[in-house]
Amino acid sequence: MRSLKPLAVIALVLALPSAATAYPEFQKYSQERSGRGVNCAMCHAHADGPDGVKAGQVGSLDAEGIARLNAARIAFEPGQKVDSPILNRFGDAIIEGVGKNAVLSMRATPAGLGDAMRLSDLDGDGISDGDEYDEGTHPLDPNHGDPWKLFVVNLSRHRLDLLLLALATALGLYGLGHILTWFGHAAEAALGRGKSPKE
Amino acid sequence: MNESTRFARSIRFLADRFPMEKLNFQSMVAKKDVPVHRMSWAYYLGGLVLFFFGIQLMTGIALLFYYQPSVSDAHASVEYLTRNVAGGALIRNIHAWSSSGMIFTLLIHLLTTFAMKAFARPRELTWVSGVLLLMLTFAFGFTGYLLPWHQIAVNATKVGLQSIEQLGEFLPGALSEIPTKIRVAIQGEAAVGQATLSRFFAAHVVLLPLATFAVLGLHLFQVQIHGMSPGVDKPTTRSERFFPFFVLKDFRVWGVVMFVLATIALCIPFEAFFDYPLFEPYDALGSTPDGIKPEWYFLFLYYPLELLPFWLVNLIVMLAVGVLLMAPVIFRGTSRRVLSTIAILVAAYLVVSTVFGQEIYEMIKGGH
Amino acid sequence: MLEAFLYVGLPYLALALLVVGTAYRFVFRPYSVTSLSSQVLEKRSLAWGSVPWHLGILVVLVGHLVPFLVPGLWQAIVASEPVLLAVEAIGMAAGVMALAGIVVLLVRRVLVARLQSVTTVVDLLVLAVLAAQVVLGLLVAVLHPWGAAWAPGTLMRYLHGLFTLSPDLGLVSEMPPAVKAHVVLAFALFALVPFSRLVHAFVVPVGYLVRPFQRVVWASARRAESVAVLPGGDPEEGRRGLMRGLAGVGGAAALMAVGVFDKVARFVKGDDMTKAEKEALLSQKLERLEQTAEQRALELERMRKELIPIAKLGELLPAAGKYFIDFEMRAALAFKGADGAPILISAKCTHLGCTVGSQADEQGRILCPCHVSYFDIKTGQPNEGAPAKTPLPHLGWALRGPDGKIVAQKPAGRALEGTFDPSLADHEVCVIRDTDRGAV
Repeated sequence: MRSLKPLAVIALVLALPSAATAYPEFQKYSQERSGRGVNCAMCHAHADGPDGVKAGQVGSLDAEGIARLNAARIAFEPGQKVDSPILNRFGDAIIEGVGKNAVLSMRATPAGLGDAMRLSDLDGDGISDGDEYDEGTHPLDPNHGDPWKLFVVNLSRHRLDLLLLALATALGLYGLGHILTWFGHAAEAALGRGKSPKE
Repeated sequence: MNESTRFARSIRFLADRFPMEKLNFQSMVAKKDVPVHRMSWAYYLGGLVLFFFGIQLMTGIALLFYYQPSVSDAHASVEYLTRNVAGGALIRNIHAWSSSGMIFTLLIHLLTTFAMKAFARPRELTWVSGVLLLMLTFAFGFTGYLLPWHQIAVNATKVGLQSIEQLGEFLPGALSEIPTKIRVAIQGEAAVGQATLSRFFAAHVVLLPLATFAVLGLHLFQVQIHGMSPGVDKPTTRSERFFPFFVLKDFRVWGVVMFVLATIALCIPFEAFFDYPLFEPYDALGSTPDGIKPEWYFLFLYYPLELLPFWLVNLIVMLAVGVLLMAPVIFRGTSRRVLSTIAILVAAYLVVSTVFGQEIYEMIKGGH
Repeated sequence: MLEAFLYVGLPYLALALLVVGTAYRFVFRPYSVTSLSSQVLEKRSLAWGSVPWHLGILVVLVGHLVPFLVPGLWQAIVASEPVLLAVEAIGMAAGVMALAGIVVLLVRRVLVARLQSVTTVVDLLVLAVLAAQVVLGLLVAVLHPWGAAWAPGTLMRYLHGLFTLSPDLGLVSEMPPAVKAHVVLAFALFALVPFSRLVHAFVVPVGYLVRPFQRVVWASARRAESVAVLPGGDPEEGRRGLMRGLAGVGGAAALMAVGVFDKVARFVKGDDMTKAEKEALLSQKLERLEQTAEQRALELERMRKELIPIAKLGELLPAAGKYFIDFEMRAALAFKGADGAPILISAKCTHLGCTVGSQADEQGRILCPCHVSYFDIKTGQPNEGAPAKTPLPHLGWALRGPDGKIVAQKPAGRALEGTFDPSLADHEVCVIRDTDRGAV
């Protein structure tokens, strides 16, 4: 252990209080506000959070990963490019968008995070990341979101498909209706008398 | 009763159920009529279930192109299919929504045919094969639920299988071991794992479809050869030809349902109703996440299991299955008015337990 | 010079002839505005020729006229790849159908004896030119595909130029020969219209489809009533109904076929991933495989060994349990008891087999989240009224020193063997095979 390079020593020091760097306040807020089950995978690379030795957790990082982690940890001001190995894209986007300092201060008012992320939509499902945070849905999964909002968004996104589908249905119903009438007439002719087939 | 009358009676029984003299084009197609009365809409339900089954077959085959039934790859292959394959999410969504639609329609079909006393002689076999189809459909739902191998899938399956084992507590002596052995036989190993996945996969894509084809064949054959049941106490003289009128109207209903199904499948991913942690890959070492529940169509069974003593629920279920299978005998003399009342009560129970089950559960248990 | 004549002179000449000639025929020879039907003379091959020809050419004409009239809208529609594919496929099919029809008509005119006396040179010329024009159109579609997408910007602008009296030669002079021939022949056809049966195009009886039925009014009240309730009682209405019905169902089927084909074709084709996405997917798959391998290794280890190390004694905590896998490959938890001795307890809920949570509450109980049963760590007993009725079983443990020697062990349900010292923090806690419990 004596041969540790200075950088790695700093890294170790920064990595040690990792338990204090996971912020369950936000998870709690999202869960209570939405009534949905939420876990660390909303912002972190691993569903169990950053502590541990599995892939995407602090214990699994190599020197390069730790360097990236530290770069992310000192991104105190907004606007810096962040690529943290323990965060997912939403986590990175939060640090990039509001800065580490603001995240820390928002722990007391976790509702603020939703407002801060109201303009980004990383999974492109039409629901902003801030709304997804408030609603306890996954901001990186386009198939996950408030069902009604997704319905409204997708209705306009797939309007060409839906229009053609509606046209096909209308045409089919129109055609079947007329064929029914025609059969009605044919049945008439076959019977050779003025009696409805429905009798 | 002597031997010859016994013989004659059994021959007559068969002759009534399989009237081979009607096995011709004239009576099965050209002359088949559908009664017209205020319950006529119920005649569309069976066809609608068939339509959903067809959709399930086609989308199921498409899903087979990408699905990989192994514990290490199953979840990843489903995720790949949903996220990366063009149209994959849509096809999977149609499969999921259509399965719900199939079970929903099937339940209404069951209740209406019951209320209309469609099981009355000579249509007993139609009814019994229909009940078997209902069970096969539930088996489809149960086995298909496991295949994506995510948290909710594996944990809900575990819970379902464990209820079989619990039955052992109520059996005496050596018999009490049998449910455990049945469970292990179904899951193929001590815990739900690769063997279970392989078995459920085989059941879902080969065994159950083959069984369904066979029973469905009998069901449809019976329907065609006996014609539609009158359905009401005072049969009207009004009727319409099955072919082409009723068939074309069937197609119209299918067209509308297709439109609704495609719209919903295109716009609402069915996963959106669940919490996302439930869709993470199953972790044998982690704890079970909150909110593990079976699919909605098992809730009518799930909440009683939660709230009532286990033996009581089992007794009721066994009785219910017995009554369903024996309905043609039990309700032989019952009037349609009484049957309708029973059907409405059952429907009310199904709706209340499915829609308000959680509220009732929390009311009784005081939440958690 | 020749180009100027072909692409500017000829068009104006043809259009002038078309307008003046047709007007002349309508005004001075009104009874000559006809298709000169030969149906009375020969019926069967006429049906096989005329119906596909007219259906096909109508579809093709719509496909030419719409982009000419509303090029912007047309371009917006064919911007979608599946729609463009469908438009081209429909156009091609209609062209082939029209070609088949016109060939039948041409052969009929040449071979059927009864028609020879009514067939004029102009008739044959019209048929031949039409056939050639359809062949050229198909040739353009095959040699220079996606015309629906490129034509609005080139040919349609040239045509618009003609009509706004500012023809732009440059738009056609660079075109491939097949396209040029198609354009020239088109104007030649226009010029032919007033001199041939083609003039019947201006008197298509479209009104037939929408005009009110001819009603038969019965003098007797009884007959009138019986007719009134008939669905499709009128033969004309019936025939028209079938036409509308088939058109509706055919259109619906075509649309659905295009939609389903579009989705299925892309589904079968598979993914469209970037390199980064492929990398992420592969690494994720590898990770899952590793997890499976890990699981298999655990299974093998449990078959071979009699005791499995879980953690150092010093690492165990009283409230935060450590998950491990017991000999039956089921989840279990390790805690530190009040006396410092390890507590190994099954984490498989005795109710329905969910995995019990690892965090103990203040009363030293762990929670099964599925149906809310609290289990006391120390006794394994579920709380009063819990869905689970039987306690979680404890597992036997052994304490192994760094030298591999076992200093203490406590098989499940039996007394402690050896002496246990809570200060041996570096000793390993191991789970031991339970010889008393049967399989499963």
